[in-house]
Amino acid sequence: MPENTSYMVAAYVITAAILLGYAIVLYRRTLKP
Amino acid sequence: MRLLKTGRWITIVGLALLAAVYVRALAFTPVERFQGAAQKIYYIHVPSALCAMLAMGLVGVAGILYLLIKDPRFDRFGEASAEVGTAFSLVMLTTGPIWAKPIWGTWWTWDARLTLTLFLFLLFLGYLLLRGAVTDPGLRARYSAVLGICGLALLPFIHLSVYLFRTLHPQPIVLKPSAPSLPGEMLVTLLFSFLVFTILYVGFVTQRYALSLLREQAEQHA
Repeated sequence: MPENTSYMVAAYVITAAILLGYAIVLYRRTLKP
Repeated sequence: MRLLKTGRWITIVGLALLAAVYVRALAFTPVERFQGAAQKIYYIHVPSALCAMLAMGLVGVAGILYLLIKDPRFDRFGEASAEVGTAFSLVMLTTGPIWAKPIWGTWWTWDARLTLTLFLFLLFLGYLLLRGAVTDPGLRARYSAVLGICGLALLPFIHLSVYLFRTLHPQPIVLKPSAPSLPGEMLVTLLFSFLVFTILYVGFVTQRYALSLLREQAEQHA
């Protein structure tokens, strides 16, 4: 396994969480009456 | 509402392509010799930073246009772009320190580039707080436009900070007057990632704009 893999994984997971999270927040806002 | 559905579809396409960026960056782009896997953070850190700056730039342009034309659509767009820019600057400010730790040996340093990007994030937050604090729509739009223009003025300083000051942050290797000093495979991955982040920006802003429009229409009917 290449060096510093854990840092890379953490960065990619956090990015996905922020962008997916924001997409879900926007979607939920549209469901509100 | 058609605009909302369009924004939602653009976002779904953007998220699917983000998965493709991950596959391309992690499996089909070579590992850098000195930094190891940490260098692959580059493919999400740089596009998110560029999109955060694009978002603030457009907030500023919308602010100028609002002050000139007084069209509420520019104010609505500025609000949408600022909120989306906050999300992208959050990505930039979390992936940056995670990359810095193994390479620089520290999570954070108060050098010019890092401090100015933190300032950009705080400016986004300030913009959103300002909008929440001012109830009069006309005043809110005018104050927000001025703050957005201040944000636009900050962008050249962020870009040039690595040339003007001694910083740990590296100088641009793509956005510079000479040819990009990046191997072809890495450059393709970076450009693909930037395209996908831009698609996500468009999708998010379209949805956020449509939500503001719906809210205003509901308030008018109430």
